[in-house]
This record gives sequence, structure tokens and C-alpha cells, in this order.
Amino acid sequence: MKFVKAVLSVIVAIGLVYALNRPWGKVPALGSFLSPFTGFWQNGEKLAAPGEEVVLKLDSLKDEVTIRFDDTGVPHIFAKNDFDLFYVQGYITAKDRLWQMDIQTRAASGRLSEVLGPATFELDQKSRRLGMAYGAEVNVKIALSDPKSREALLGYSAGVNAYISQLSPKDYPVEFKLLGYKPEPWKPINTMYMLEQMTLTLAGRSNNLNMSNILKKYGSEVVKDLFPDYPMLQESPIIPVGTPWNFTPVSIPENKPGDVKDTVLTNEYPKEEPKPEGIGSNNWAVGPGKSKTGYPILANDPHLELTLPSIWYQVQLHSPDMNVYGVSLPGIPSVIIGFNQNIAWGVTNVDADVFDQYKITFKDTTQNSYWYDNQWKPTRKREEIIYIKGQREPFRENVIYTHHGPVTAYTDDSNGTLNLATKWIGHEPGNSFLTFYDLNKAKNYEDYRNALAKYVGPAQNFVFADNGKNIAITVNGKLPLKRKEQGKFLLDGTNPDDDWKGWIPAEQNPFVKNPPRGFVSSANQSSTDPTYPYYINWMFAPSERGIRINERLEKMTSANADSLRALQNDNFNVLARTILPKLLAILQTTPLNATYKAAQQVLTDWNYQNSPGAIAASIFEEWMPALKSAVWDDEFDSPKAPMAYPSRDRLLYMILKQPDEKWFDNVKTPKKETLSDVTVASFKTAVDTLIARHGAMSPSWQWSEVKNTEIRHLSRSLKAFNAPHLQVGGGSSIVNAITKKNGPSWRMVVELGPTPKAYGIYPGGQSGNPGSPYYLNLLEKWEKGELNELIYLSSPDQQNQHLTSRITLKKK
Amino acid sequence: MNFVIIFIVTAILQFFTPWWTVALIPFMIAAWRPTTSFQSFFTGFLAIALLWFLYGLYLHINSLGSMSNKIAEIFSLPNGILLLIVTTILGGLVGGLAGLSGYFVRKTVA
Repeated sequence: MKFVKAVLSVIVAIGLVYALNRPWGKVPALGSFLSPFTGFWQNGEKLAAPGEEVVLKLDSLKDEVTIRFDDTGVPHIFAKNDFDLFYVQGYITAKDRLWQMDIQTRAASGRLSEVLGPATFELDQKSRRLGMAYGAEVNVKIALSDPKSREALLGYSAGVNAYISQLSPKDYPVEFKLLGYKPEPWKPINTMYMLEQMTLTLAGRSNNLNMSNILKKYGSEVVKDLFPDYPMLQESPIIPVGTPWNFTPVSIPENKPGDVKDTVLTNEYPKEEPKPEGIGSNNWAVGPGKSKTGYPILANDPHLELTLPSIWYQVQLHSPDMNVYGVSLPGIPSVIIGFNQNIAWGVTNVDADVFDQYKITFKDTTQNSYWYDNQWKPTRKREEIIYIKGQREPFRENVIYTHHGPVTAYTDDSNGTLNLATKWIGHEPGNSFLTFYDLNKAKNYEDYRNALAKYVGPAQNFVFADNGKNIAITVNGKLPLKRKEQGKFLLDGTNPDDDWKGWIPAEQNPFVKNPPRGFVSSANQSSTDPTYPYYINWMFAPSERGIRINERLEKMTSANADSLRALQNDNFNVLARTILPKLLAILQTTPLNATYKAAQQVLTDWNYQNSPGAIAASIFEEWMPALKSAVWDDEFDSPKAPMAYPSRDRLLYMILKQPDEKWFDNVKTPKKETLSDVTVASFKTAVDTLIARHGAMSPSWQWSEVKNTEIRHLSRSLKAFNAPHLQVGGGSSIVNAITKKNGPSWRMVVELGPTPKAYGIYPGGQSGNPGSPYYLNLLEKWEKGELNELIYLSSPDQQNQHLTSRITLKKK
Repeated sequence: MNFVIIFIVTAILQFFTPWWTVALIPFMIAAWRPTTSFQSFFTGFLAIALLWFLYGLYLHINSLGSMSNKIAEIFSLPNGILLLIVTTILGGLVGGLAGLSGYFVRKTVA
């Protein structure tokens, strides 16, 4: 009996410990997770004590390094050589953002499923098939063979690893504890993964198939009419119209376009997700003639998905030959957008056509060779192994590579398998990192131009200003030399004529320096007007943001930083100004019931401001997509053969200038609909939708409530770590480009001068730890459209009321 | 006395050993020193519960609940204090059951 009791009680006790020592589904192992000694309790933080001084001894540092923290949590790093500088950047970034660095590297390299299980398998498979790892491997070899990038990457890695190696499990960021895994050592290639991920976000898709399907269904006349290569109604290109092209263009092989586009079969290729409007950016610089200080002022706000922690991390990097401040991307040494003593720079996405798909013909099912230039050419195979949490055997797949790039097979019921190779800038060998490294140290315009020439992709509009009173903007990146429209449709993988024909010479990329209008700007719109001798892309982001920015900068005089800050927060709706009077005039001719009349009245009284409280903005923003659907869905929405929709500009042009076009008719009804019919119907749809979602018209229809901007934790699932509800205006075609999920991920304004004066903010905080007072400390100011003054120090012992704690790092 | 030994030894060891030390120590103490069945459970429970409660409370207050309140939300609890109580009870149960089984093991040789 004694023994039974003993054995039973021991079994129960061990059973309980066992149950608490292992995860159950999504619930982490509760024993260690709840224990105050090891669990999440350890992750609560409080404000750094002002004046606190810590000394750390670390391996492989060459010399002493000092970090000063300011009251917003930004580290200001003072090192005596580059290696130490990047070492400490790595160390301190990891201290604040370790889990973010881990999960983003995993996303880019197709290794999420190792820690998240089967749920992320398809994502991983997509990254592998696209050759993200292939691209990163090619690039890390080049980066490690150059002495400058090598030192930066090795220093950064050593710093991240110095931080990781001193952690015990209780110190791990809370996400590791919740998901039940631990951080891995950092490798230089991870930086390349981060760059690949950026290339994927900004230049990782094409409309080839959607466009080919349209060509197949409607023929080239319709494509020419509805999908023109330059906006028909309005555009304000990045390089001002009339800027001379002072170069002799290299000849573009003008071969007959391959016939493949007409032989493409409509297929059940999964619908290509268009890049959401809201991923894009604004930047501009005003010259000395327009500023109060007599020096240029530069502004930049990159629009990306808004997440917590933020995609950006502020840092000041100081060494004997460099003193730069700005935002970095965790995982990448150096500053990506920022300023130094002499210059400031910023970026927006170009959206060049650098992602093309080629139809491949294999000899047989072994896929060992493919038809190209009238002969069989051998393929290469790359084995991708995806480990999946909870599954014993990893998933293995051989990805076939042609000289174009990796091949993905798509199966279609009627036509069998379609093999498409992807030719993508993400696979192009290069050392884009050096561009940022050199910009960090740049002193003048020449340094800026030289730095830019090293850049591969994703192509960016690099805006520039210096204290020599120059301003400039360059549409920059390796841009493939193509014939016009090459890559608008699916390309023929057997025909050498369809290959990329080299590159536009870097010095012939569109740029302008000190233009007569006294400012430069970009908002992802068309790079140039049609006089530029090369093809960059046939479609760019809609023109409204660019138009508004240029209008306001045109009028601006004696500007200061606050004038540019105000422009970043501009909520004026150019789209509404363009089209709403016409639409309201149409509504006037129709009898409406009281509900619709009230909505119509609100729109009539509207000042075109997408301010947070505007009800009119909600109605308008609901109406525009409804109108688009009403016009195009009957012709272009097909589940069998996904097609692109004509651009917004094309629709506006049709409404304003071609009101009798046949496209207004809904071909699915016997009745013949007119512009008036679709206008009224879509207006009613929009109002009905708002009523269904938010009740009768009331303050719950305010734009900030209807838009309901959210900033989610990177896990996308831990709601407790999300930002609270935000009261913000703006919208997708607005300069203040805050949509539901995307928006200005960093706002910066820099006044150049003898000493730069800079301001900046992003929605979040320096710390990635949801339990830190620095997790959301910048959010409120961002929400109000305010900026923080950026503390730009010249020495580690400088006095400044905003400075708080200090860390001194010494070599062990 | 057993309470004090469990409390202090576990508190020290917990800083550098896995969480399940909170089972090991009550078990060993109850197996080593004379006690009753009720006391072995109660002492283990109370020592571990109090230890986790006090340290958890200290961390909670020190960080103004910045993490505990959010984790509570993930576990569908209204606030961090309630999560602290759950933590306390769970730690206590482990300590208590371990203490009780220590007592029964001692009985087999006594």
C-alpha cells in the first residue's frame, strides 16, 4: 500500500511537471513560460534611468566604443574604426530587435515553417521557388570579397552574436518564449536575405500573365486603348518635363516582339496579387531659393506595411570618417535613409519592370534540358529542403533553373502544365549595400552620384541635398535594356530576342540636378515623360500624390522644416477634385431618396480633405472602388483567366472625355447601361455598404473610423501586441498615404546648413519588446503628424538635455 | 522549518536552474525531513506559491505591468494581477504535489 501511494503520487507529480514542460498546440510550455524566474515576467522593462552608466566587456572589439541614448531610446554610437562601429550597431540592434531580425530572415529565406509549422509552408515554398536564397547566396559572395562590405558584414555579425551569446533563456525576447524556440547565431548572408526581402516587397511581382490573358481575350487594339504606356489624363513625372537628355542612348536591339503573347493560353494561374496602393513613398527637396535658411531642405516618407516593431530602427553612427544619423533596417549595417554633416538623402520606389516571366519548353519530364535558340540547353537543379515543425521528414523539392531564372510549374485543367521561368532583379549579382555605405560617408554631389552607380535593386528614386546648396533626384538602379513593352506580357523563353539585352548605362538613368523650378520630388509616379529614350515600365503608381506635392512645392516660398512636415501630412484628395464634380453633376439628374440625398449633400459640401473626421471622405473612398467594379468587373473579372484592370487614370479619362464608351455597359445584362447608370448604381452601393457596416450616417462614418488604420505586431496574430486604435486621415492617393495597413513608416525632414537640423518620427518605438516603455513611445506624435527633433551629436561627451544613459563597450 | 528551507533553497537555485526545480526541492525536503501528509503538501504549495507570487509581483510592479497585462490579454484574462494569481496557484500545485510525493516516498523506507 505504501508503495502504491508513493508510486502514484510520484507519477501524478511527474505527470504535472511533464504537462507543464511541453507546448500544447499554440500554448507554450507553461512551466517555464509562467515562472517569474524564466518566463514572460522577465520581459517587462522600465525607462532607462537618466545618467545610468554601464560598462560591458565584449569579445573581438578592437577599441573602446561609447553609446549615448537619448530620451526616445535612440542609440548614438561613437567608435574609433568601422569594424567596431558596425559591431556595436549589430549588438545594439539585436538588443532591441532580435526577434524581428530572426523572423524576417526566416521569411526571406523560406524557413518560417521550422518554427511556425505547416501554416507557413506555402509562404516558404514560394520564397524557395522564387530563388530568394539563390539570390542571397550570389550576393553574399560578392559582398564578402569587397574589403569595405566585408568589414561591415563581419563586424555587424560579430556584434549580433556577441549579444546573442550572452543571453540565457530567461532573457530571450518574449516571442521566442511564446513560440518555443531560440535565437540562432547571425550570419553575414542574413543581411542579404533582408535586402532580398526588400527587393521582393518593392519589385517582386509582374502583371505578365494578367496582361497576356487580356491580349488573348480582347486583342491588341483593346490593350493599346485601355492599357496605354503613359497616363492619358494627367501626370507630373518625377523628372520634370523638358529636362534635356544629355547623352547618346545605346541602341536597343529592335527585334520583332516574340509571338508568344498570342499563343499564351488562358489558364488557372493563381491570381497575381497587385502591389497594394499604399506601398510606395514620397520624397522631395527644395532648393536654397525656396527655403528660409538659404540652404536646401529635404523630406522623405517611405510607405510600407505598418508593423510593430517598426521596419525601421533609428541610429547615429560616428567614426573618424563618418557621422551619419537616420533609420536603418534591422539586419543591415549602415543607415538606409538619413543625413550626415554635409548631405541628406531619401528614397522612394521606382517600380521598374524588373520581374519578367518566360514560358519554358522542356524536352521531357526529366526537365534536364529546355528549348532555347533552336537547341536544347541543359538546366540546373537546386534542392530546396523545408523543415516543418511537428513533422519528422522535411519537404524536398528540386527547383529547376534556366538561364532566365528559376522555373515554377502551374497546372491548368484545359492546357496541362505551364512552366514559367522568372527573370528577376533579385537574382542579379551585385553589392547594393555599398551604395548605402558610401552615402553614409558622402560629402557632396559627386560622392552621391558615385555611390548610386553601385546600386542594383530594387530601383529607387534617390533624392539628394547638400550644404553646397545642391538638390538632385536620380531614378536609380540597374535597369534592364529592353525594347518598349518588353515584359508587359509573358515572354518567350525559347527566343533569344526576348532576353534582357544588358543594362541602361548607370549615368543615363533619369536624373535632374538643381532644376529651374527649384525643387525635386517623387511619389512613385512615371519616372519621366515619354521622351526618355528607354523603356523602364509601362505603368507606375497613380499620379495624384505627385501632382499634389508638385503643386504645393511650386507655390512654396521661404520654406522651413515645418512647411515640409505640413506637406507630409497633407490630406487633400486630388482624385476627388478631378472626378467628383462630374460624378455629382450626374447624380443631380437622378431622383434619390432621403438617405442617398443626405450622402450626396455631404459630398457636395466637401472640401476634398481626407481629414480623420470627414464623413465625405468615407463615402468617396467607398464609392471609387465600387465605380471601378461597376465599370470593369463584367469584362475583366474572370475566375478562370485572371486579368489586370485598366488604370485609374484610364477610367477617369473615359468618364471625363469619353462618356459614351461601350465599356460602361454591363455586358452581363440585356439592358444597355450608360455612364450615368453605373455612376448612380455604384453611389448607391457605396452608401448601402457603409450603412451595412456602420449603421445609418453618424459619427461612426468618420473617415478614421471607416478606414480603421491598424498597426499589427509582426506575428500578425498576437493582438495584445498591436497598436491601439488610431485617429488618422489620409488615404491611398493622398500625400499623407495612410491606408488601413500601410503608410508613412518613417517621416523625416532635414534642413541642410552649416550644421544639419533634422526631424523625424515613425509609428512605434525603438524597442521591439512589447513590455518596454520604448515599444510605442513614438506613436502618439506620429498619429498627430508631429516630428521629433533628431539629436545629432558631434562627440560622445556632448551635453544635451535629451541624453539619458550611456553604455561603454570595452574589449575583453 | 521545511517551509523556510524550501523557500530559500528554491529561490537561490531558481536563478540558474530550469523551472522544474520548484518540484525537485519540495520533493527532496519532504523525503528527507519528517513531516505529515497534509503538511508536506501544504508546505510545498505555500513555499513555491509565495516565492512565485512575490517575485512575480515585484516584476509586475517594477515594469508597471507592461508585459504581464498584455500576456494576460493573450490568455483572455482581464489583467496581469489575475495572471499572477494563476501563476501562483500553478507553481503552488507543482510544489505541493512534489512535496506530497516526497512524503510518500519517505514513508516507504521509514
